[in-house]
Amino acid sequence: MELIMLIICGALAITTSLMVIFARNTVHSALWMVASFFSTAVIFLLLRAQFIAILQIIVYAGSIMMFIIYAIMMLNLRQEDPGRGQTPATKSFGLILLIVLFICLMSLGVGSGVMALKGPITDQLMLQHGHVAVLSNFLFSDYLLPFEVVSILLTAGVVGAVVLAKRKE
Amino acid sequence: MIEFQNVYLGLSAVLFVIGAIGAITRRNAIVVFMCIEIMLGAVNIVFITFSRANQSVEGIFMVLFVMAVAAAEAAVGLAIFILMYRKRGSLDVERFNLMKW
Repeated sequence: MELIMLIICGALAITTSLMVIFARNTVHSALWMVASFFSTAVIFLLLRAQFIAILQIIVYAGSIMMFIIYAIMMLNLRQEDPGRGQTPATKSFGLILLIVLFICLMSLGVGSGVMALKGPITDQLMLQHGHVAVLSNFLFSDYLLPFEVVSILLTAGVVGAVVLAKRKE
Repeated sequence: MIEFQNVYLGLSAVLFVIGAIGAITRRNAIVVFMCIEIMLGAVNIVFITFSRANQSVEGIFMVLFVMAVAAAEAAVGLAIFILMYRKRGSLDVERFNLMKW
């Protein structure tokens, strides 16, 4: 059952990501991206990370894609303007580079059971307390400093965005 | 090892390479930005997979922080796009050559 869901969602994720790349219209590409985020969220659910799946939908499919669609709307981008493309030499070089990257990634990851650690997050604990309760216990004790640093980063990002986009008088 | 661990890892490798292809072949800056988001999502799948395999909490927090950084990046990146569009009238990355000499 899990394998069937995994194959369906994986195929969906790969197809929608390919459509993001190959759609000529920027708005279509953004809408395919939303579908891709939803299928990734289901993959997180299959990995028993419910909180992350919900955050994926809220943060990525909700806020970041809204940002992007607003930007497309404001800038009125329909089509990419046709111009000089890549030469065949650079294209084939890029393709070879990507195949090498793919082989490296596969050989590094697949089949590695190197770290057989047993940490504190067991399925039993999750069933008992729920994913969010267990995570927030760690977030507000061991990971408090990174959490605060991230809030500073977000504030800096918002201020930076306003300063950049403001018209100079 | 969890069941189907290799399937999850292979899937994320495929997604990462798709994102990389998009980031180097497309010329619209917003599509390049979305391809970078695809690559971040692929990395998130790896983090969650290994976090589940090791029953550890670090991978999940790494994903949380990746999401926060992606949100900040979206805000700043789109401000830069608007600025570039105002100055250049297009979002073609081939024309972003202010720092080239």
